[in-house]
Amino acid sequence: MSKPLLEIRDLNVSFGTKDKPLCVVNDVSFSINPGEAIGVVGESGSGKSMTALSILQLVPTPPARVTGQVYFDGKDLLQLSNSELTSIRGKEIGFIFQEPMSSLNPVMTIGDQIDEAIMLHTDLSADARRVKVLELLRLVGMPDPETRIDVYPDQFSGGMRQRVVIAIAMACNPKLLIADEPTTALDVTIQAQVLDMMLDIRKQYNSAIMLITHDLGVVAEFCERVIVMYAGHILEDADINSLFASPKHPYTQGLLKSVLTLTEKQHRLYQIQGSVPPPGTIKEGCPFRPRCPVRMDRCAVEMPPMKSYGPTHVAACWATAEGVE
Amino acid sequence: MTRYILFRLLDAIPTVFLVLTLVFIAMRILPGDPALTALGPLADQAQLAIFRERMGLNDPLWLQYLKFLWDAVHLDFGTSLINDVPVRDLIIRNLPHTAYLTIVSVLMGLTVGIPLGVLAATNRNKPADHIVRLYSLIGYAIPDFYLAAVLLVVFSLKLGWFPINGAGHGFWDGLYHIILPAMTLALLKSAFLGRLTRTSLLEVLGRDFVRTARAKGASETRVVYKHGLRNALLPLSTGIGISILATLSGAVAIELIFNRPGIGRLLIDAIHERDYPVIQAGVMMFAFFVVIVNFIMDLVYVLVDPRIRMKS
Repeated sequence: MSKPLLEIRDLNVSFGTKDKPLCVVNDVSFSINPGEAIGVVGESGSGKSMTALSILQLVPTPPARVTGQVYFDGKDLLQLSNSELTSIRGKEIGFIFQEPMSSLNPVMTIGDQIDEAIMLHTDLSADARRVKVLELLRLVGMPDPETRIDVYPDQFSGGMRQRVVIAIAMACNPKLLIADEPTTALDVTIQAQVLDMMLDIRKQYNSAIMLITHDLGVVAEFCERVIVMYAGHILEDADINSLFASPKHPYTQGLLKSVLTLTEKQHRLYQIQGSVPPPGTIKEGCPFRPRCPVRMDRCAVEMPPMKSYGPTHVAACWATAEGVE
Repeated sequence: MTRYILFRLLDAIPTVFLVLTLVFIAMRILPGDPALTALGPLADQAQLAIFRERMGLNDPLWLQYLKFLWDAVHLDFGTSLINDVPVRDLIIRNLPHTAYLTIVSVLMGLTVGIPLGVLAATNRNKPADHIVRLYSLIGYAIPDFYLAAVLLVVFSLKLGWFPINGAGHGFWDGLYHIILPAMTLALLKSAFLGRLTRTSLLEVLGRDFVRTARAKGASETRVVYKHGLRNALLPLSTGIGISILATLSGAVAIELIFNRPGIGRLLIDAIHERDYPVIQAGVMMFAFFVVIVNFIMDLVYVLVDPRIRMKS
């Protein structure tokens, strides 16, 4: 197996005071190989976005505290200074944000905003950069790029803005693209267009992608591997076929059951009872325990370790480990 | 764009008209007889009658009002009751001094206030922030006439670094004379603008597009100035407008204390002497100034915010 592009070890992100920390990401470890597309799924508040943001140190510290290691190309990103990080952000790692409506600067033209990403990391002349910006706009499917290049974000719809955000992220052909719910804020038809466009880009550029989403359908279409997160913990990490065929964690099973299918007759959609516990409420044991249909006494005391269920499938559940179904 | 400017100009007309009317009414309900004040207690009834006739004070009120409006539109403010000089000349002589004081003090306030605000915002809750906030508090708390007196005593009387009064002749001498008065006005401006810059910048720096800029690989300086301050300019330009207008009330006291010529000074003297035409003209100048500054600020909004540009 090749050397991973990104390797996260024991990542912890917490807010609050030292004595009463509120952990939003707990001992998260995973890796991404070059060119690989992984999906990170989980409900709101599961720590997906925080994990992604802390890779590039985009979580404001303070108030947050980030510990652990994030190796990218052999360097621990968490140890880098701000100026060292600027040469990685946007160049080696591109970031697509969830909110296209607010993630563009309202007083700069979209051309200038894409151009900035190129200018910061290359020595190209202004003319050459403009050619590149037009190329990027075409890549993200912007109709009529020559006139749109000098337009302000407010003149665009959400879908168009998200294309601009993607163009910014792709400007320097990054080795890793982190997409934090890139289609959540868009309406369904636009979602499909943007996803198709991202699939195209992926084929052309062969970047590794970390796709954060709560839509398992998107994951199935896009990714080779899935990480399931819950309340700041990784509960399951598996290749896509194995996960969909035989999910090991009761939470993953619940998630899969609650997806609407068109092939089978369904009466009432399955739902996992309860909701994600607020950070800091569950101090020990498995965070999913209160909502788990197969919980055991042991779950309250000890967080289950990752157990292997095949070459590319791990899950953290006491019940599954003991064969309880 | 042209349409926007045109509409803004049209907007200003009723304001000016309203101001003129208010000035007219205020002048007529003031206690005291202008003829008596102008000619002094020794004037006899005949002299007073001639004076009233000449100044049109015997005309019916509506006719006075129409004449007043007509003259105002032609920038004819009559002659001073005290020394028979055309008011227009008085204005022309004094206006540049007040304009100069305004410009210099606003520039001082901006060059000190904005960097202080940026410093405070980027060092939130650190010593630098606390110092800037303390400075703002002091700037707000010290009345300008008091500060003016303190600066005069310390820098002009004791140290002899600056002149005590007057406006000087020529550019360099003028600049030398304006430093203390402008500094006095600038303290409050820098305190106000510093605070405003801090607040708006902090608000902007928390927005999503700032995170996008960081994720692009922009340096912190670039994030703060190019993305942060550029957006913070929108609320800030309103503050700068307010700050320019505040110079007017400040100028009255400052011109008196530093014994400088200027509209504020002219107005105060005229009020003492009940010199109606000059008071009218002085108040009108202040009102025009407000209208003009507001108009300019409206144009500035268009320049700094493309969203307004697109709507118009």
